[in-house]
Amino acid sequence: MASIDRAGIFAIVRDQLSEILEIDPGAISEGQSFVDDLDADSLALIELVEALEEELADVVAGFRIEDEDLQDLKTVRDAVDYVYGRVSSGS
Amino acid sequence: MNLPVAVDALGGDKAPDEILRGTLDAVAAGVPCVLVGPENLASLTSVDISSLDVIPASEVIAMDEDPAGGVRRKKDSTLVRAAEAVRDGKASAMISAGNTGATMASALLRMGRVKGVNRPAIATPIPVPGHTPTVLLDAGANAEVQADWLVQFAVMGSIYAERRFDIARPRVGLLSIGEEPGKGDTLRKEAYELLAVAPGINFIGNVEGRDIMTPDVDVVVTDGFTGNVVLKTLEGSLKTVVKALFSAFGSSPDLKVHADALLPALLPLYESLDPDTYGGAILLGVDGVCIISHGSSSARAMLNGIKVAKEMVDSGMVEAIRTAIGLISQASDAAGDGR
Repeated sequence: MASIDRAGIFAIVRDQLSEILEIDPGAISEGQSFVDDLDADSLALIELVEALEEELADVVAGFRIEDEDLQDLKTVRDAVDYVYGRVSSGS
Repeated sequence: MNLPVAVDALGGDKAPDEILRGTLDAVAAGVPCVLVGPENLASLTSVDISSLDVIPASEVIAMDEDPAGGVRRKKDSTLVRAAEAVRDGKASAMISAGNTGATMASALLRMGRVKGVNRPAIATPIPVPGHTPTVLLDAGANAEVQADWLVQFAVMGSIYAERRFDIARPRVGLLSIGEEPGKGDTLRKEAYELLAVAPGINFIGNVEGRDIMTPDVDVVVTDGFTGNVVLKTLEGSLKTVVKALFSAFGSSPDLKVHADALLPALLPLYESLDPDTYGGAILLGVDGVCIISHGSSSARAMLNGIKVAKEMVDSGMVEAIRTAIGLISQASDAAGDGR
């Protein structure tokens, strides 16, 4: 099973967001709000979640972001922290 | 390869019977179809579907269910399986009369977007008596949009109008509150500037709501909130006018004689205004053909929607959108626009 550090998680989140929102990856930073700064709507966030689940399945078997946790992920940092926490605990 | 159109057997107020009848009619008309539904689908209907293959799907996303959440939770739903059939090369296109948002979410999450498309948009043909319909987009996919998205909507709507209605160089109008370039809010003014210089479209300037059902414009672009309000207003108004007309005709025996004489002229007009004639809306910008039919679709609406799906596949619409969006992205990059 592969391992990944927090910076690696941020890179994955940033690249997926860049792909989904059609924006320059260099324009994405951890402090940004998905809705207020990146103009991501609910469907774009679901796209992000599904893309992260698919990409991180190789790191943690069955990796999943719980739907009830989604409402707490307001910023890029929230998402990176959440995903890093799940990956670190192997859940 | 002549791949079948994947039909959501359980989507819509009249499912499954009307959906299945429409599917059988489409097959009889030469369009191969595959149903997507539960393995016991045949036991849920009196329609004989023994001649049709069924892609198994054990769940249904209800009409009033949260679209994105429904797609996340119900991975074995008819909508998700239909979109996967297109993604996996088992079907050429998908069609559903079910939950509009969930249909869009399924197509977006499973087929993916055409590279470069910011957000997919719903394009709906609006009938114009005696003329080709006007394509209205976005009719509800994106409540809030950015000015450059409207340029993409204009490009995609033009390609659809060309292929669906054989309109050469479709005239594109930006829906606003006045014809002059300076009319409208900040979004409309910014979009006007971008549309005026966008390559590959025939932009004719601002149009107003009253222009949509006239022969003066072929494609009308707007945000999804406004587009949906326009669509529902037109549908409601037409129904009210038709009802009032028939009520007036039947108000006295003397008038009814005259109405009977007029009916042969009025019925074709009524048919041209009937949404079932056009088979539904299309989701533009996803990497495949996805037809979103009206929730109350009849067998006739499904037949027409399936035919449209096949026509759009055969016309290479998605590839044309991919090429055109690539060109405007290049033009945008060259102009130094980061998005």
